[in-house]
Parts: sequence; C-alpha cells; structure tokens
Amino acid sequence: LSSLPLQILLYVNGIYYIFYFLATLAMIIYKSQVFSYPDDLLAPDLAVLFLMAVLEVPRLYLGFKGNLTEAEAPLGLSLGLTVASVVLSVYLLLWQTYVLWADVLLNALLLAAYGLESGLKVTAIAAFVS
Amino acid sequence: DTRDAAQARVRSAPAPVTDVATLCVCDLLVAQCDVNCCCDPDCTAEDFSLFTSCSVPVVMGDSQLCSQKAAVYSLDVDANPPERIFKLIDQVNPSIFCIHATNYKQALYLKSPEIPTPENFDQLLDKFGGPTFSTEPDSWDLDTDAQNPPDANETSRYEYGAPVQTEDAFLRLPSPVVSSWCSDANPAGFLVNQATKCIRSVSVEKCDSIQALSMLFYINSSILAVPKSSQMVNITVQSITVQSVNGMRTLLSSSDVLRLPMAVGDLCINAVLGVNYHITHTDTGEIIEAAAAFVLGAISKEALSIEQSFEISFTQENTEPVPLSGNPGYVVGLPVRAGFQPQGYPSFPSAFLFAALALSSNKHSQLTILHSTSTQDCLAAQGARAPVLFGYNMISGCKLRITAAMKCQPLAQTLLDVLKGQSFPEYVASFGNSQAQDVLDWVPITQLHISEQMISHTLQSSCQIPVSLGIEVKWTKYGSLVNPQARIVNVTATITSTTLKQLPSGRERIIPITSSVVFTDISLPAEPSYKAWPTIDIKLPFDFFYPFV
Repeated sequence: LSSLPLQILLYVNGIYYIFYFLATLAMIIYKSQVFSYPDDLLAPDLAVLFLMAVLEVPRLYLGFKGNLTEAEAPLGLSLGLTVASVVLSVYLLLWQTYVLWADVLLNALLLAAYGLESGLKVTAIAAFVS
Repeated sequence: DTRDAAQARVRSAPAPVTDVATLCVCDLLVAQCDVNCCCDPDCTAEDFSLFTSCSVPVVMGDSQLCSQKAAVYSLDVDANPPERIFKLIDQVNPSIFCIHATNYKQALYLKSPEIPTPENFDQLLDKFGGPTFSTEPDSWDLDTDAQNPPDANETSRYEYGAPVQTEDAFLRLPSPVVSSWCSDANPAGFLVNQATKCIRSVSVEKCDSIQALSMLFYINSSILAVPKSSQMVNITVQSITVQSVNGMRTLLSSSDVLRLPMAVGDLCINAVLGVNYHITHTDTGEIIEAAAAFVLGAISKEALSIEQSFEISFTQENTEPVPLSGNPGYVVGLPVRAGFQPQGYPSFPSAFLFAALALSSNKHSQLTILHSTSTQDCLAAQGARAPVLFGYNMISGCKLRITAAMKCQPLAQTLLDVLKGQSFPEYVASFGNSQAQDVLDWVPITQLHISEQMISHTLQSSCQIPVSLGIEVKWTKYGSLVNPQARIVNVTATITSTTLKQLPSGRERIIPITSSVVFTDISLPAEPSYKAWPTIDIKLPFDFFYPFV
C-alpha cells in the first residue's frame, strides 16, 4: 500500500535539496560581493534559507516514515511542513532582495517537486485511511 | 509661502531620471546642440546631418538586468542628408546570473544624498564630518581617539623636538631666519643640540636698554620641568667668560654676580656675545637642571652690529655621553674615533681582554690632521688641528721657512709635532660605536717611515726632516647588501722624510709641508649567502637486522 512514486520523489527531493541549498547560499554570497547588499536586507534572506533547511530534514524524515509504515499521522505532519517550505520557497522566488534568473529556475523546480509531493501524499493518506 | 515653497524645493534634490528614452549623458549645453550628441533634444535634423558619429551610441540601465529597455542612437550615413536613428529596444542579458527582479529599489541607482536642514545638520555632521570624509590628506587620522592620548601624555614628559617651555613662553635660542639677523622667536627643541650664530644690531647709546645684550634676558624665565606643569627649574649661571676688545678671553672665578651691560666711556661692557645652555634631563623626559655659560664682551662706539653665538646641549643625568660616529658603521662626515692604550698594559695582541682604551671623548686624543691657517707658517700655527671626518679626503699643509741657523734635530722634532699633533693616537675604532672594552673592535695604526734620499748624498750623514704625513684609511662595507655598514679595516700613517741640505749662511729656503687623509674603499663585492641545505638524517633503528645481528 505504500506509495512507490512518493518514495522515489522524496528520495530525489532530498538530493535535490542539498544541491539547492548550496547553490542558493553560493549565489547569496556572490550577490553580496557584486551588488550592494546592506546587512539589514541580507539577514532576512539568509534566515529564510536556513529556516527552510532546518524544516526540510524533519519533513523528509516524516515523509519516509509515514510512507513506509503506512501511518497517516507522520504523513500529515509532513504535509504541514511542506506548506511551510512552500511559503519560504515562494519568498525566495518573489521577495528576495535580488532574484537572479538561476534563483527563479531553482525555486520553480523546487516548488514543482513540492506540489507533486503534496499531491502524492494526499493520495497516500487517502489510501491508508481507507 | 513662496519662501516655504522655495525652501521645500531646496530641501529635496531633483528626482533622478530613469527613463532611458529621455536620458542623455552628452547633453551638456543648455538650449544648445552638443556636437556629435545624438540624444540631445536641442538638436534639429539639420544639426544631425552634420554629425560624423554618435558619441553615446546606447543609453541603458544596469546591464546586469535580465531584460531592460535600451535606447539606441545611430547615424545613417547612407541617407542624404545623414539622419539620426533612434530605436527603443529590449536588451536581454543571456547570463544565468542576470537580475530577474529586485525588491531593493536603491540597488540599481545612486542614492540621493540627504539635503542638510537645520534639523538633521548635527546628525549629518557626526556621520560625515570625520576625517575620513575630509579632502585634506593631512587631517586623515584614522584613529580619532588617538588625538586625545598624546595630549594626556604631553603633560607628563617632553618628547624629542618638543619646544622647551618656560613660564611665559618657550626657551628661546636666537637664530638667523632668512637673513643673518637674530630672530628671538626660535624655540629650543628638547634633545635637539643646536648651535647658531646671528647678527644683532646694537648701538652704544642704547647699551643698557637693548634686552638681548643683557644676561638677564637669557636666564630670567625658569624652565618648566615637564610641559604644562607648575614645576620650575631655574637657569643657573654656570660660568662667565669675559672677552676683551682684542679677542682675549678670561674666565671669571665667581659667576654669581650678575653683570649687566652698561656704557663706560666709548664702550658698552658686559654685553652678551654668546650663551651656551646645558640642560640635564632624566630618561623619562623631565628636565632637572639648566645652566648657562656666558661670554660677555665690550662693544665699541663704531660697531653697528655684533655677532652673537648660541648653543644648547642636552645631557642625560648621571651619564657622560660619548658622541658616536655611527651605529654601528661609520657615518660619512662624523669624526673618526681614536684612542690610546693606557700605560702599563701589555701590547696588543697578547692576552689582554680587560684593558680599556682611553676613549676620544676629549678633543686632544682624536685623530686629527694639520689645519691650514691663513698665515701658512708651520711654526707659527702650531696647535691648529682639524678632526679627521670619515669619508672626507683631506689635504692640508703649511710652509716651513728654513734658515741656516736652524739645527736639524730640534727642527725634525718640531715638524713631527706639527704633522702628528701633540698626542697622536695608537688605535682607531673599527666601528662608529666601538666601546673601549672591546679591544678587538679597535684597529692599530701602522706607522711607516719613508725617506726620500737623493742618490748623491747617500754617503753623507744627512739630516732627515719629515715633510709629509699621509694617513690612508682602508674601509670596507660590512653586513647586508641592503644596509651596508662602513667599517675601518686598516689605518696606515706614512711619514715621508727628505734630506735637508745645509744652507749657506744668510740664505733661506721654503719647504712645503703637507698632510693628507685618504679613505679607500676596499670592500669586496657582495656574496650571496644561502641557508644551509637541509640534511637528511637517516639512521636505521638499532634492531633493524634483528635476527642476524
């Protein structure tokens, strides 16, 4: 009954997120050197990125656990955390101080993955409940 | 209201123009057409037809943006007449790191500066009034706090070059400024030994009213022991020397009586001709003693001006300073230090590491050379000697008049005294700062005698008189290539004697006597020196061949 596509997606998401985090951090550093990036605007952007990293770990863990043990509660919690991650990703896509074209691509890809994951989690929860 | 409106207009700077179609960088002349400026709105089509090229081909915002509007100006030279083409295009930056959007409005434009108003003036002055924003390089003091501690330290000690303060102003050392006339506004600097000479205009009638001729002028204000303090040091009179009209100086035995100038007949006596200040200080920059030695003289009625000489020297308490000629290598222009080996010690180089050499702190044992005088008479000018300065080749001489009555032996001895001086030293310091205890730092003077003998007189017992002394100092560059130090390696004093023929009575002869000092550089070319190659120290462990040994 566990959803195999969800499992694959969660796994790929984990790997992609590591790449996403390092790339975004590197680009923020690049932006702070090349452009004028005052400290009071740099701090929120970095805080959002690190907060997203902190949320990602339990989100993926709960997703794996819920899917493999066929339990709805961890999967539900993971869905909640996904919503928070989506909000943060939208912030980095739209309301960052400088949004580079590479930022747009990375965040769009991440949002697509989150959207697909959310859909699969909902179907998995429905399958487990019934 | 109009004034308020005007003030309101002044308060805000004009809004920045960001529309590329209306922005023109080369439009400098107002209401006139700028040459070759294709974006100038003041130019008509006829003006464009006269242009050769467009100085500003494209006006664009920040090129880092992913897509932006750009105004492109070009001249179509094929058309007749040439016309300007204006195009508004979308410029695309293909890089993946182009700025897609920015939420920070000031990122791409220069910030409008704040206009100072009475309300924000103080805050702006705090922010931008510091030395880093100043345009004068002299006021760039990166550490603004450092301006205060030196003031705090100034109260506790004098520093090198700081003016010596007295209770009313500064300790004055009159010196010539621009011309040779004395200026009383020259302060004496702490630890700066100075000697100045200047001319002062005098008149015998106003003898007692000219302040600068009276001793009181130089000793009445007491010196502050430390700057800005209330501790005073009185200037005592160390000695008074009276110079008579014909130049003879007499040291007075009692120096407590203050002698003030007064007019006596045609002369003005007790006028100050020279002051020599001696200041004693501690090693923490505090002055503890001050003494002045005066030379008083008489001014005659015809004299309109006199020359006064002033000197100041600083000595640290409980020390007897020996002037060094370099540290460690000799400095060109400073005297070559020389000394003697005290009597009773075994001669160099046998075993005497503890013998001290008498240092040349007094002028009589310096390495000196005969000083030519205006009379050029060897016998009359005995005693005039000049110190040998390192690096300066010198030659001097005098003329000796020989009469028939002169005896050979005393004449030879006198000439030897004239050439070598009263006390010719035996050792010369190898370095400018050689100490008396370090015997190996002193170079013995090699003395050679050369006699020029005329061949026809070899058989006669002849009279040899020294006619020239040549001192050759060989020195080398010692130490590193970038900072070589001069070191004296060898000193040779060569006395050349010649035969004195017996003169028929009544005749006299004039012989020139010369003495010279030559400095020769015998330094070897520099050798590169490298660090030792690292050695590989491999040793087998002692039980390497265990089963077999």
